[in-house]
Amino acid sequence: MTVDRTTAPAATVAGAVAGTGVGISAGTRALVMALVVAFVAGCGTGSESVGADQVRRLASPSPSAAAPAATVPVRPGALPGPAAVLAPTRLAIPAIDVVARVAPVGVVADTGEFDVPPSVDEVGWYRFGPGLEAEAGSVVIAGHVDGAGQGPGAFFRLRELAADDRIEVVAGDQVREFRVVGREEYDKSEIPLARYFARDGAVRLTLITCGGPFDETAGRYRDNIVVTAVPT
Amino acid sequence: MRATSAHRAVAGTAAAVAAFVGLSAVTATPAFAATSDVAVVHGIPDTPVDVYVNGERTLENFQPGDVAGPLALEEGSYDLALTRPGEPVEDAILTADDAAVPGGANISIVAHLDADGAPTITPFANDVSATDAGQARLIVRHTAAAPGVDVRAGGEPVFSNLTNPNEESADLPAGAVTADVVLTGTDTVVLGPTELNLNEGTATIVYAIGSASDETLDIVAQTVSGLHSAPDGVPSGTGGLADTGSNTGWYLAALTGVLLLVVGGGLLAARNRVATRR
Repeated sequence: MTVDRTTAPAATVAGAVAGTGVGISAGTRALVMALVVAFVAGCGTGSESVGADQVRRLASPSPSAAAPAATVPVRPGALPGPAAVLAPTRLAIPAIDVVARVAPVGVVADTGEFDVPPSVDEVGWYRFGPGLEAEAGSVVIAGHVDGAGQGPGAFFRLRELAADDRIEVVAGDQVREFRVVGREEYDKSEIPLARYFARDGAVRLTLITCGGPFDETAGRYRDNIVVTAVPT
Repeated sequence: MRATSAHRAVAGTAAAVAAFVGLSAVTATPAFAATSDVAVVHGIPDTPVDVYVNGERTLENFQPGDVAGPLALEEGSYDLALTRPGEPVEDAILTADDAAVPGGANISIVAHLDADGAPTITPFANDVSATDAGQARLIVRHTAAAPGVDVRAGGEPVFSNLTNPNEESADLPAGAVTADVVLTGTDTVVLGPTELNLNEGTATIVYAIGSASDETLDIVAQTVSGLHSAPDGVPSGTGGLADTGSNTGWYLAALTGVLLLVVGGGLLAARNRVATRR
């Protein structure tokens, strides 16, 4: 957790400041402490994981209700139709002043990675997973935190979201409202993507962007920020 | 995941509990692990049947072109028999004795015509291994009284010289594609063209059934879903504006401290100056 890394050194600095403050009035010393504490608290905002356990529980497939069937199901061997999913078109997150267009996206053929829309103002819904009609599984929407030459993206402030913040997803004339239950940060090499792209388990909305330290040379962030929300 | 030691301990406990629950689930129902999903496909034209498994009538009035199942069958060998609807199992028109069902597999048992037009039963093991993100599996099985064929999708040959009772399989980009079946090495279309919806993370199994000489060639399809994988990553930032660099906190905190020291020192100096003046 980022907080751990910043808390320890900052506390040391605070101690050092207080310790060397010989001759500084008690009032000044208190002010120094308060400033440092406030700074550390500010630093930690948004980087801490919340609701990780709940997010994990949501991903567990519900126990199968199907007892051994008395009769064997029989279907005509017709060719499958196209998958009927309700594609989200707009996303609103009032808590961080986000209203963004949602484009249906898949994966980049070369890399197998999520095809996040190139415009940072637009976010992408994973069209192979559940849509807004979902009765199970994770509806995934990913967007850029920022883009080189484009500035902050739609999901720039995603890591500020807190429990119970509302998210509104629109598909045509249908609206579904969600409530934030978790915010997590993972090193990209360790993120359990199968959990966030699962098509079973409880219905949830999964928002993904980048975060953590930025590698200037590679032009990439180390981490993914994942926000999980459930229908209200 | 980066976690505090407290979080790590909790995560460790959760993992241990999950492992224990998983283990007990397996030991409580040992037979479950050895069960296979078995589907039955009817590819003999104009011949509705009853299907008997080990002498028990399992399907009644099963129609050509229909797919039944999946049935959960425990590992073992099974006697299969097809009768005309309502007729006793002794008068079966087609039987397969000691058909082996392995454990933990996904199987399709197909009643169809062989290359010469005689009814037969062929079991196929279905490849239900995971597909890559964005991909769909297409499996084509030649179970018709017809010569070898080529399968084309979007005008391109996908499978060539497929013969009865064999199959070909390929993972293709998900989406709709127009497919047809031609006699091997020719442009003589025997089936299609038809629109194939290759849904992501599913296997679409297409059977060519019937008889070329009787002009009853047709297709039957079966799908197996849940083969999907997650994308390999979510790259979603290239600007660096949201950088929370592991060292940034350090630098800022240290800078704050230095500033405060300077301010504090200044205050001290000012006070000393005041004192000296006195």
